[in-house]
Amino acid sequence: MAQAGDDYDPTPSEDELEAHLQTRNMEINLGPSHPATHGTVRLKLELDGETIVKMDPEIGFLHRGFQKSCENVTWTQCIPYTDRLDYVASLTCNFGFITAVEKLMGVEIPERAKYIRVIGAELHRIASHLTTAGALGLELGGFAAFLYAIEGRELITDRVTELTGARLTTNYGRIGGMNRDLPPGWEENVLKSLVKIEQYAAEVDGLLTRNRIFADRVRGTGVISKDDALDFGFSGPCLRACGVKYDVRKNKPYWVYDKLDFEVPVASDGDNFARYYLRVLEIEQSIRMIRQAIDMMPGGPVMVDDWRIALPPKDQVYSTIEGVIAHFKLVMEGVPVPVGEVYHATESANGELGWYLKSDGSGRPYKVHVRAPGFQLLSALPRMCEGRMLADLIPTFDTINMIGGEVEQ
Amino acid sequence: MRALNVSIGIAVIIGSLFGHMTVTYLAAGWLENLLQEHGLKGGGFIVNILSLMLAVVMIIATLLTIAERKWSALMQDRIGPNRARLSILPVLGKMPLAGIPHILTDVFKMLTKEAFRPAGANAFLFKLAPMLAFAPVFALFAIVPAGPTLTLWGKPIIMAPANPDFGLLFMFAIASLAVYGTSLAGWSSNNKFALLGGVRASSQMISYEVALGLSLVGMMMAFSTVRLAGDTGMAALQEKLLWSTKVGGLEIGVPQWGFFLQPLGFLLFFAAAFAETKRAPFDTPEGESEIVGYFIEYSGMQFGMFMISEFVEVVVLSGVLVAIFFGGSSIPFVSTESVLALLPTGGDWPNHTTALAGGFFGMVFWVKVVLLCYLQLVIRWTFPRFRYDQIQTLGWQILLPIGLANVFVSGALILWDPSLRWLTLFGFAELAVIAFLTVTPNRQKRREAEAAEHDHGGHGHGGGHGADDHAADAHGGHNPVPALDAH
Repeated sequence: MAQAGDDYDPTPSEDELEAHLQTRNMEINLGPSHPATHGTVRLKLELDGETIVKMDPEIGFLHRGFQKSCENVTWTQCIPYTDRLDYVASLTCNFGFITAVEKLMGVEIPERAKYIRVIGAELHRIASHLTTAGALGLELGGFAAFLYAIEGRELITDRVTELTGARLTTNYGRIGGMNRDLPPGWEENVLKSLVKIEQYAAEVDGLLTRNRIFADRVRGTGVISKDDALDFGFSGPCLRACGVKYDVRKNKPYWVYDKLDFEVPVASDGDNFARYYLRVLEIEQSIRMIRQAIDMMPGGPVMVDDWRIALPPKDQVYSTIEGVIAHFKLVMEGVPVPVGEVYHATESANGELGWYLKSDGSGRPYKVHVRAPGFQLLSALPRMCEGRMLADLIPTFDTINMIGGEVEQ
Repeated sequence: MRALNVSIGIAVIIGSLFGHMTVTYLAAGWLENLLQEHGLKGGGFIVNILSLMLAVVMIIATLLTIAERKWSALMQDRIGPNRARLSILPVLGKMPLAGIPHILTDVFKMLTKEAFRPAGANAFLFKLAPMLAFAPVFALFAIVPAGPTLTLWGKPIIMAPANPDFGLLFMFAIASLAVYGTSLAGWSSNNKFALLGGVRASSQMISYEVALGLSLVGMMMAFSTVRLAGDTGMAALQEKLLWSTKVGGLEIGVPQWGFFLQPLGFLLFFAAAFAETKRAPFDTPEGESEIVGYFIEYSGMQFGMFMISEFVEVVVLSGVLVAIFFGGSSIPFVSTESVLALLPTGGDWPNHTTALAGGFFGMVFWVKVVLLCYLQLVIRWTFPRFRYDQIQTLGWQILLPIGLANVFVSGALILWDPSLRWLTLFGFAELAVIAFLTVTPNRQKRREAEAAEHDHGGHGHGGGHGADDHAADAHGGHNPVPALDAH
């Protein structure tokens, strides 16, 4: 200690330099109710200043007992539950589920139904990608991009409403085909909407992609290496952003994807920018696919002609005993799914949407398990964010596009 | 019909500014005269404080709250707020009135909400913070002249709330006080998000003070003054024309506006001052999708103080920019003196004629302010937000070195040619370079266009992403668009 009268020496002494300030990391709860955690997830963070030291994502706030609910209803009655999985792209979930059941039953559906499924799934893929790209803009403070993207999604929602009667909970498609054919004039409406959606997507692209501030925020943040991504079980755009060219539509084509001419964009950076930009490119590819599918779509029935699977026509129900019996058995007992188990995957907007189904032949599922793509992505979030800044978490959480509904089921 | 409505709206705004400024000149002249008869000085300044700061600045800031929502709606293909009605009025009560009644509803909402204070918050500092955030911002306008200095009843009337010798230094001093409001708000709320916001705000605002000060040094050297108002202030000196020609009694030419002398200084000052206002793209202290903001715990009018201080900041910043860089109250490219010389001298009401001229120039000033407010809102609604450390990088590693270089180059040019002509020519060259850089596409975009030409001639949209030679750029760092292989 300096005494009064001593000469003041401004150089700090040796142990003064050595002494460390007592600091403690700050623990902070991001969510469950936070502007950036869309889908109600809680991220427990340990912060050193603004740097994330430790991170613990906690899910379960949207748990609805999806799997157990499915076990108590017939196979057809599961379809509305699948709407609530990926609520941004519910058609992909509807069609994914019924395609898996059809594989278990060994049913081949009419050609036209396959085309309708491609069109519906691709429409909702565009909707999901637009939402992701727009919300990324919103969370980085660029509100305009979000509104243009949502404007485009609204057009898709309108078309889906014409198709299914609902904006969000589509419940479209049945085991063995589709429950309804396309409404008259719907294809023209879709083609008209696609032109506008292209414009909106270009607007979002123009507002964000080459913006220097945006590029600084998303390039090199939320990086995950190719090996890590494979280890965590990534799929979809997030895996392709790491340089792995894996797309269920190309690798194991289902419906009519093998007849369509489309490309699978791949990037190598594995950062937020790659994940964002792949989605922009996939919107273009999806638009291409829908145009081709509408062009190539044949006429004909949309449902298999088998009264054990498809509901008989109403006049048959009212006038013939066979119709009444078939109708009664189908409604009361459900579609007769044979004993067995199956795994079938489709490419949803966020990656491989896998279904592991087990049937004991009772007409109700014995077990329905969903491999939701978002779960694996969310589990890798700490790996992508720890050691980075809090502000980087926001775009990373957005570009993995975790959907609470499917992750928490 | 819509064009008519818009024209009427613009005419009402401009007309009321004109009228208000004329009345201000008259009242200032009258009070100055009255007080001087009793041996007191500064009567004009009292009128100016009431008229410019309390009336014009506050009203423009209040209208900006609705203008921000309407203008952002225009940019985003929306309609914007139009539901509130003044139903007590007979005819107007049925009209949306461009959403202006929403101002009233907002004010009533804020005034009637509970001023909640979280447990554990420091009561004194918690209440002090909104005031500290608002007061310095408001006080900044004190040195900005909103019109030329005119002689009424034989007394020179300076159209600014105050005219101290230390002009711009007052501005720097007061601007640096604003950080206390935000950092105290963050710290005293007893909330971790607010604390993060407060820390971000204080580091951001402190680091931008340096660039802010440095960017104006060029202007101070060019005019050898730090004073803004008065005959020897920066605003008046900018009215001088460097090259001019006579067109029917009017002198038209290139004025020595700060924007022409110091385009770089303008950009630096604008960026630094924008960062001080804490609005997007510099809104990390708020960062509503990250940390929700330093004012997360505030409600009611305490929150309203933070919000309105942002809008006041927009108006004040525009006013400062106009006074320093855009020739104050002068008409662009026209000499103010030559306009004033056209006025009829003598007559029955000489003072009233002068006041009308003052009102006209005051109107010009406020129109410039409103245009700059619009520019600020356009920037706020188009750009995403910086990251906290990127803001620091921009401030210390880009703005500061450019600011220093600008000071040296401008200083040399001023020494070489005190008439400022070479400085202006150099400024034009800078503007040309900036314009060239803005309109030419960046390297990545050019390469994409080339790739699109020889790779996929036919396929328009998908073009450019398929080029394999892009792969080399994938780790290139600064190209905003990564290489993507679409096989």
